[in-house]
Amino acid sequence: MIGFVFRRLLAVIPVLLIVLVLVFSLVRVVPGDPAVTLLGPGASDVQIAALREQLNLDQPIVMQFVSYLGGVLQGDLGISLKSGQPVTLELMKRLPATIELSVVALLAAIVIGIPLGVFSATRPDTVLDQGLRILSLVGVSVPAFLFALVLQLTFGLWLGWLPISGRMSPFVSFEPITGYYILDGLLSGQPSLALLAVSYVILPASVLTAFLAAVLSRFVRSAMLEAIEEDYVRTARAKGLAERAIIYGHALRNALLPAITVLGLAFAEMLGGAILTETIFAWPGIGRYMFEAISNRDYPVIQGTTLLFALIFIVTALVVDLIHGWLDPRVRKRLK
Amino acid sequence: MKILKNLAIATTALALLAGPAAAQSESSTLVVAVPSDPQSLEPGTNRAWPVGSEVILNVFDTLVAWSPPEFSSLEGRLAESWTVSEDGKTFDFKLREGVMFHDGTPFNAEAAKYSFERTSELNSYVKATFGLIESVEAVSDTELRIMLSAPYPAFLSILAQPQAAIVSPTAAEEAGEGFASNPVGTGPFKFESYSADTSVVLVANPDYFRGAPGVERLIFRVIPDASTRRLELESGGVDIVQQQGQLSSPPAQDVAELSENPDITVLEVPSQIIRQFEFNNSLTDGPYADARVRKALTYAIDYEGLLAGIFGGTAERVYGPLTTNSWAFNPAMKEMAPTYDPEKAKAMLAEAGVDPSELSTKLYSFQGQLWGAIATFVQANLADIGVNVEIAQTEFPSYRALHVAGEHQIALDGRQPWYNDPDAHITIGYLSSLKDSAMTFRMGEDAELDALIQKAQQTPGLEARKELYFEVQEQIMEKVPGAYLFSPKLIIFHRNNIDGLVVNSAPPLNEYWSVTKN
Repeated sequence: MIGFVFRRLLAVIPVLLIVLVLVFSLVRVVPGDPAVTLLGPGASDVQIAALREQLNLDQPIVMQFVSYLGGVLQGDLGISLKSGQPVTLELMKRLPATIELSVVALLAAIVIGIPLGVFSATRPDTVLDQGLRILSLVGVSVPAFLFALVLQLTFGLWLGWLPISGRMSPFVSFEPITGYYILDGLLSGQPSLALLAVSYVILPASVLTAFLAAVLSRFVRSAMLEAIEEDYVRTARAKGLAERAIIYGHALRNALLPAITVLGLAFAEMLGGAILTETIFAWPGIGRYMFEAISNRDYPVIQGTTLLFALIFIVTALVVDLIHGWLDPRVRKRLK
Repeated sequence: MKILKNLAIATTALALLAGPAAAQSESSTLVVAVPSDPQSLEPGTNRAWPVGSEVILNVFDTLVAWSPPEFSSLEGRLAESWTVSEDGKTFDFKLREGVMFHDGTPFNAEAAKYSFERTSELNSYVKATFGLIESVEAVSDTELRIMLSAPYPAFLSILAQPQAAIVSPTAAEEAGEGFASNPVGTGPFKFESYSADTSVVLVANPDYFRGAPGVERLIFRVIPDASTRRLELESGGVDIVQQQGQLSSPPAQDVAELSENPDITVLEVPSQIIRQFEFNNSLTDGPYADARVRKALTYAIDYEGLLAGIFGGTAERVYGPLTTNSWAFNPAMKEMAPTYDPEKAKAMLAEAGVDPSELSTKLYSFQGQLWGAIATFVQANLADIGVNVEIAQTEFPSYRALHVAGEHQIALDGRQPWYNDPDAHITIGYLSSLKDSAMTFRMGEDAELDALIQKAQQTPGLEARKELYFEVQEQIMEKVPGAYLFSPKLIIFHRNNIDGLVVNSAPPLNEYWSVTKN
């Protein structure tokens, strides 16, 4: 098992290198000079030339890449052209916000999506099943920005139950410890703060959860329908096992295998969707940071965030494989 | 639903009961929604980013500032009075006594000298203007003398900019690069905290030399999405919303709807921003190189229709290279400016011997709904006289690259002056030696006009400059560099319990010292 993880991690290096080369050259192929963009409307030529020199943009591209790669190997992702701060530091500041949001969304999606899938599969083609199927179709197909706006209007403006945007009340003075606000509230012995943080995460997480839970429930449903037809389920029934044990102990356990693969992929895809969600909800995470970096042509930040997203994607895939091994003895055996 | 409701009640109750953590009273805290992170709160490296600049002007003071509400004359801030020498090169300031920085360091001529020298060294953005400084001399504690290498009357206007804010030398030396996230000035608010992409929190400086500000705390909340900012304003989550970004305007529909909201006041102030349909004035061949053709096209555009149809009163007509609220605006421009007359446009093209079909090209424009609407409008106007153009909405960095390279024939473009002087529009926009730099009209060489522009820039005395700028505007209009389309108003929304907000028009950076909240 350890050997497997190690081999997988080794394989990550060339992948990351390819990602790096691609991003590094792509951002420079797209027209637009970061110095020009940074200075905004109204900058003169002298100002632009001075900034280009200051940012080393006057160096040949190969030289720029070599010096960048050297830095990356030491964990240094360069200096943000816009803020002048180290990219690694800026990413570390924003990563907890994105992780908190996605983990909440992921957990909610699992808690909601799997039972809904099972519920549908055990009542195929009834009115309830049809209703849930339509609902999940809506979840997959409604654009995030629209859903976000509806939530903000309904729960934020009209009902006034939940905050419209942000991550914490601006009126609360609060020193984050880990950067994960819900956790920080608990750690600092102020559960009220943790609850407040939860109230801020509900709406943006709902947007992400809707998509994830819909994908998951559709998959669990179809996998369950197949599993229920399998021989081992018939055997279990013949043995006289309770229906609950058959569904959850046998059918679901097998149905979950493909569902987890899909969930892993959907999770990574959702992180892409987080760019939009974070912008709409003024959530100070990596996605929004990347979006602004692209429009500013902040090369080191675009490279840094892409690298990070690639890493998250790879780690997610690895975790999915490990969970597979844990759930499925056949896979575990192969891994050994 | 019930669970949600209970949760909502619980969280609201908890937020109220959170005790010491939520000690800051909402009634004495002013929350301003801004569209982007301030990036840096460092006057020394400020590159006129709107949000950071505004925060800086609330934490720091400058020697001089534009007087509200007209913003057409300068008043002393840290300087009590000043004189300018006859040759326009020496500026003598008498400084205010007894002012302290937030860290207790006394403000004096040495601190001012330190700040100017620091910005000159750190900031490439102001190289052209700060580069004119030959020497800064602290004559005594309260007397400062600045000598320029060439006369530059707009220098006082530059001194009102955030880059010229006076920093505490002690704090700046101590913090080094950290000063950008821990600024110390003499201004009405003290810096308290900054959280990336989230907020900047300032607290009142009770000892401020003009008197303590009207609110105890000032929070700038970063909310990138315009519709989220609007919802936050409507729900009372923020008090003041600045809707316009550098290249956008609030949708006219938002303005109309929010005007109807009894809780919200809409402030509309004329700006000095200009948006135009412009030609690549460096072209030497092709139909667009012919001034008669360019002039004909300016008569094809329905200026009033554009203002009414797309802006619903949120923008004003521009007649020439300067806006009507500039002190150097030449009223003769109103006569010289083209009027909507498609028949005349067709006749002028015929007279120039150009068939409209020869003028087919791409009309470059910025991205976004607003620019799309303007481009479509102009496209339809041109089609009416037989000129078919294809709209190419282009992402800002790419747009700027092709513009600087001169790869366009016609484009929609705009200028936002970063300091309050006609120089900010005229020199950068029309001086032919700057044609290959960003955001210019790419004017072809013309020794006479160039000399006139430089003379207007450098001649001391407001009246003398005004006359020169009158002449500059007329000469520019004769060359038909473009059709001036509109000037968007600065639009700020605030909740009705806010009083005393004065919107600065050029550049749009507001001071919140005078604002109170009930």
